[in-house]
Amino acid sequence: MSDFGGMEDLLQDFLQEANDLLSDVDNKLVDLEKMPDDRALLNDIFRGFHTVKGGAGFLNATELVTLCHLTENLFDRLRNGELELTSELMDVIMDATKGVREMFGELGQLVQPQPADPAVIAALKGVLSGEGVVAASPPEQVQPATSVPQEPTSEPDWSALHAAVTRDAPSVAPTQSEVITKAEAAIVEAAATSAAVVAPGGAAAFGRRATDRPGGQPTSARRAEERGRENTIRVDTSRLDQVLNLSGEIGLTKNRLTSLRADILAGKNDSETLHALDQAVSQLDLLVSDLQNSVMKTRMQPIGRLFQKYPRIARDLARQLGKDVELVLAGEETEVDKTMIEDLADPLIHLIRNAVDHGVEMPEERQAAGKPPKSLVRLEARQEGDHIVLIIADDGKGMNAERIRAKATEKGLISEEEANTLDERQSLNLIFMPGFSTKTQISDVSGRGVGMDVVKTNIQKLNGSIEIRSEPGKGSVFIISLPLTLAILPVLLVLLGDQPFALPLSLVREILPIEQSKIQEVGGKETLVVRGEVLPVITLARLLGWPVERYPEYGVFMQTAERSFILAVDSFAGRDDAVIKSLEDFRPKGVAGVTTLSNGQIVLILDMKELLSDLGQHSDFGSAVRALDFA
Amino acid sequence: MAADPKMKFLVVDDFSTMRRIVRNLLKELGFTNVDEAEDGAIALQKLQGGGFEFVVTDWNMPNMDGLTLLQSIRATPNLKHLPVLMITAEAKKENIIAAAQAGASGYIVKPFTAGTLSEKLNKIFEKMGQA
Repeated sequence: MSDFGGMEDLLQDFLQEANDLLSDVDNKLVDLEKMPDDRALLNDIFRGFHTVKGGAGFLNATELVTLCHLTENLFDRLRNGELELTSELMDVIMDATKGVREMFGELGQLVQPQPADPAVIAALKGVLSGEGVVAASPPEQVQPATSVPQEPTSEPDWSALHAAVTRDAPSVAPTQSEVITKAEAAIVEAAATSAAVVAPGGAAAFGRRATDRPGGQPTSARRAEERGRENTIRVDTSRLDQVLNLSGEIGLTKNRLTSLRADILAGKNDSETLHALDQAVSQLDLLVSDLQNSVMKTRMQPIGRLFQKYPRIARDLARQLGKDVELVLAGEETEVDKTMIEDLADPLIHLIRNAVDHGVEMPEERQAAGKPPKSLVRLEARQEGDHIVLIIADDGKGMNAERIRAKATEKGLISEEEANTLDERQSLNLIFMPGFSTKTQISDVSGRGVGMDVVKTNIQKLNGSIEIRSEPGKGSVFIISLPLTLAILPVLLVLLGDQPFALPLSLVREILPIEQSKIQEVGGKETLVVRGEVLPVITLARLLGWPVERYPEYGVFMQTAERSFILAVDSFAGRDDAVIKSLEDFRPKGVAGVTTLSNGQIVLILDMKELLSDLGQHSDFGSAVRALDFA
Repeated sequence: MAADPKMKFLVVDDFSTMRRIVRNLLKELGFTNVDEAEDGAIALQKLQGGGFEFVVTDWNMPNMDGLTLLQSIRATPNLKHLPVLMITAEAKKENIIAAAQAGASGYIVKPFTAGTLSEKLNKIFEKMGQA
C-alpha cells in the first residue's frame, strides 16, 4: 500500500528533482568547508532546503518538512552572520543532510518518512536556540516548552498584521494557522520521541557514529529507491527531436524505395533507375546509422551526475579517519550510457574509499615525507576514441609490490614460487584477488577484503578493464577503461571451417600467421614466441570441443586481464559492429550472446574469459552449437 | 467578476515539481491556459512577450527572486496592472510586509490545497472587478 494515493507520479518527479538538488547541496557543503563565509554558497544551500521543504509539504511529508525547516533556519542564521560555521556545526548540518537523504529513500518506497534521528533534531534546535552544539544534551533539548516556540508561533499577530498592511480581510488566517499548528504538532511530536528514545540510556545517543554506520535500514531503503528509479531517464528534448527528425527522413527514403521497387517490378531497369536505387539505399544506410547513434545518445548521461555524490563521501570518510583529503573532479561532462553509470556507482565508491583509507597518509606522515599535509584524490573521466576512461588517482604513499606479494602468499592466495615469478604489474594486480586485504586490522571503511575483486568483476561485466599504476611515495592510479556503450560490441569474426565466431575486439591485440614449425612445446603445451614473449597457443577448435581437422593457419593475439595468449583459428572474416542479442533462458557457458551478420547468418559471440576458465570442459558448449544448428 | 477559464497564467518557480503542482491545482480550478518560467528573469522575458493575465510566483529563486520580479512588474508600465500571487513557504511578517509593499495581489503559504488557492484567486478577481 502506498501513502501517496494518486500522487505517485508527482512523488517520482519530486524525488528525482530533489535528489539532484540535494547532491548539489552536498557538494556545496564540501565547498563551504573551504569558504565558510561565502554568501552565495550559503544562499544556494538555504534555497536547496527551502525548495525541498516546499515540495515535501505538498506530499504531506511532515517529518521531511520539519527537518528541512530547521536546517533552512540554520542557514538563514548563517547567511545573516548570526551564527558562525564551526566544524561541530558542520557535523550537525551533514547529519541533517544525511537525514534528508534517508527520508528520500523512504519516500522512494512510497512510505511517509519516519521522524528524523532525534539527536539530529535536538542538535539543530540546540544551535537555533543559541545554546550551541555542545548544549544539545538531550534532556534539556527535548523540553517542548522551550524549543517549540522558536519558530512561526513567535509571531502570533501576523495575520492581523497582514490584514492591516494589505487592507485585506483576514480570511487567510485559518489556513495558515492550521499550517503552523500542524508544524508545531510535528515538532512537539519529534521532541517527544526524542525524549523517549534518549532518556532511558542516559548516555547521549547524540553523535555521528550511530547514524554513520553503513548497512541498516536507511541504506537498504536508499538502494531500493535507486533501483526503483532505473526505469526512467531524462533526455534533452533536442536529442529526441533529432531522433524524430531522422525517423521522418527514413520514412521519406522508404517511400522513395517503395516507388523504385514498383518501377523495377514493372520492368524498368535503365541506368537512371538503378542509380536512383543505389542512391536511396546509401542514403538509408547513412540515416539508419545516424539514427542508431542518436538513439544511443538518448541513453547517454553526463557522468557528473554520479561524480557529484563523491566529494561528500570522501570528505566524511577523511574526517572520520583524521585525514585531510580533497577530492578533485574532472571531466564531469563526459557522457556515459545510463546503465553503465548505475553499475559504476559502487565500484567507484569503493575505489575512492580505498584511496582515502589506504592510499593517502595521515597529515603528519605526509609532512614528515615533505609533502603538503592535504592530500589530493583525483577522479577524472574522459572519452578516448571509442572508450571511456575513468581515473582515480591519489598522491599518497603508493603501493609496495613486495608487501603485496608477501601478503598474498601469507594469505595462501598464491604460492611462494608463483610470487617469485610475478613482475611489478602482476604483483599490484594481486589486490584484485578475492580475499585480499592489505590492512591487517579490518577497517570498517573499505570493507573486509570483499572489495577490490568485486570492483574488478563489476568492471569486467561492463566489458571494461582496470589497471593499476603506482609509484612508491608518489601515489597510485587506477585506470578504468570502458566501451562507450553496452549495446554495440566491436567484434573480430574468426572462422573454424565455414563457421564464423565473434570475439570481442577489445581483447584482440594483433593477428599473426602461424607457422607450424615455429610452435614449441613447453611442458606439454604449445607455445609461440612473439617478439621475445612466450605465449601459450590455444586452439579454438579444441576449446570448443570440436575435432581439429587441419592445423589452424592464423593466431589471434589476445589479452585479457589475467593472461595473454594466442588463439589459433582457421581464418578470419574481418571486423563488425555486433548488436548483441542475449540468450535469455538458454545461455551455454562461453557464449556472451549472438549477433546477426549482414547476410542473415547467426553468429555466436564468445566469452573468452568463461571459455578459458575451465579448459577442457566443453560438452556444454558443443551441444549448444549443435542445438543452434537445428534451430 | 467570474473568472475567465481561458485566462492565461504564468507559473514561476525554479523547482519543476512545484510548477507541476501549481499547474495541476490550477487545472483543478478550471484554468488550463498555463505557461511556466524557471525564475524571475525568464518570467519577465515571457511577460514582455505579452498575453499573460495572471502571475503566480514563488519567492525564493535563483537569478531573480519573486520579490524582485514583482517589483519589476510593478515598475513596467505595460505589466504593472497584472495580478501577482506570491507563493512562499514562510508565514513571517517581514515577508508579508515586503510582499504587500511591493504590490502583491495576494500571498499564499505552502503547502496549500486547490480550495485555498481558489479562495485566494477569487479574492483577487473580486478586487479586480471592483477596480
